[in-house]
Amino acid sequence: MNYFLAIFDTISTLITGMSVTLSHMLKIRKGNVTLQYPVERWPRPERNIGFNEESYNVIRSRLTVDMDDCIGCLKCERACPVDCIKIETHKVEKGEDLADANHTGITSNGTPKRLLVTRFDIDMSECCYCNLCTYPCPEECIFMVGGPNSNRHEIDYEFSEYDRNDMVYRFSKVPPDILQNYVQKKEISEKAS
Amino acid sequence: MVDFYIDLFSSVDFIKPYQSSIFIISVVLSGIPIFGFMAVNALVAVYVERKVSAFMQDRLGPMGHGVGLHAGKWGVLQTLADAIKLLTKEDIIPKSADKKLFLLAPCIIFIGSFVAFAGFPFNEFLVAADFNLGLFYILAMSSVGVIGIILAGYSSNNKWSLYGSMRSAAQIVSYEIPAALSLLPIVMLSGSLAFKDIVLAQTGSTLGILPNWFIFDNPFMIVAFWLFFIAGVAEVNRTPFDLPEAESELVAGWMTEYSGMRWAFFFLAEYANMFIVAGVATIGFLGGWLSPIPGFFEGNIWGVFWLVSKTSFLIFVMMWFRWTFPRLRTDQLMRMCWKFFLPGSFFVIIGVGLWDLLMR
Repeated sequence: MNYFLAIFDTISTLITGMSVTLSHMLKIRKGNVTLQYPVERWPRPERNIGFNEESYNVIRSRLTVDMDDCIGCLKCERACPVDCIKIETHKVEKGEDLADANHTGITSNGTPKRLLVTRFDIDMSECCYCNLCTYPCPEECIFMVGGPNSNRHEIDYEFSEYDRNDMVYRFSKVPPDILQNYVQKKEISEKAS
Repeated sequence: MVDFYIDLFSSVDFIKPYQSSIFIISVVLSGIPIFGFMAVNALVAVYVERKVSAFMQDRLGPMGHGVGLHAGKWGVLQTLADAIKLLTKEDIIPKSADKKLFLLAPCIIFIGSFVAFAGFPFNEFLVAADFNLGLFYILAMSSVGVIGIILAGYSSNNKWSLYGSMRSAAQIVSYEIPAALSLLPIVMLSGSLAFKDIVLAQTGSTLGILPNWFIFDNPFMIVAFWLFFIAGVAEVNRTPFDLPEAESELVAGWMTEYSGMRWAFFFLAEYANMFIVAGVATIGFLGGWLSPIPGFFEGNIWGVFWLVSKTSFLIFVMMWFRWTFPRLRTDQLMRMCWKFFLPGSFFVIIGVGLWDLLMR
């Protein structure tokens, strides 16, 4: 008798197990846990990292530069501990607008610019998110997106790319073909001097 | 199909004198569709297997999104991409391997399942070689692969490969006996070993509604079907009987040292064997190319459809097993075969014989 009970037990447990897997298979539309990453994304995390002080709860998410305010003082480049910021400048007339190079002469704080920033690259794959570059900036044009600055740029915490070279963000507004003119001029003026 | 081609070519006047070449061309012409079917079967089955396994584990499986090339909607082109990758991969032969046997083994395994397909009927006429010993032939040919498995394990010159191949060979050789014995009731009921006669014996309906398939013939036949199907799952080395492949102890068993194209041949043969086992179960117990509603949707094209869909359902059940049941230990596996399946199949043979004698 026990023999047949064991057979019955075996078959019933096998059927139970198979019905569990089948039910999971049929309910896949509701029950799947996979996130189709580039198409679907996780919800944005809460902007609170556990400090009592409100202004400390800053997400250091991504370095951004407002090029219209940048005067090319290189303070952020010197402050960077991992040298991920690369800046090149070119001397222009003080306070003069250069329409072809997208250059405005005066910043939003009223400071006249003496330099045209021909290159402002930040390699975000090297950035260590220390925030040290944002403090020395006299015009407050380089900042981490998020926290108090979230009103100036939309928060972005992923910025994942398919290619590592796409992690280098080029902020300079000078178009590449125009850039060539300025570099040549610079060389000529250097030779002349 | 071979006979059909021979008749066709013999009727043409200017080819007529070359009898030997007519035979060779006919064989090749009927072999190519089989190879095509095996390849398509493997492609589709791998995709379905990945999807079924993913759905049962609440995942999504291969989907189109990703870097670079797009794998089609729902990842339909994933297996095609995998196949191209396998074809273009480097063919690595280990330094200490027995080179000739190492190269020969995948061919033997592939030929084993290819030759078994030759006798497999898709409907009454669509069969590469129509034997009157079809069932016996397929049972014989499906065991040719064992030689290839042992060769693969031996020639890899790797102890884990050898262990894996020994396990696999032991398993296949043992489970062939209950599989063959549980097919005997079919032969007893139909009185023939030819697939055509076996299916023709299942026409009509029984008890008014049910089709007159052998599985509904008497209670013993349900047990016989069950025994054959489980033994078949064990014969094609699938979970819960996939002892030759054990990641933690044997890596991939006898396939460990193979890569690229040769490994793809193992895969092709594995899925072809699955199709053959499920197909023999379909023809033997589930009415082959007969419609489940007797008298409706009959005909040659519908026949292929019914056979392939019933077989696909059984393959799905194999996949379902794989993602549900934990695997057996080697001793449990052997115990199950020799102590339960073998007596069980004898019991079924006697039971069917007595039923046929007394109840009719």
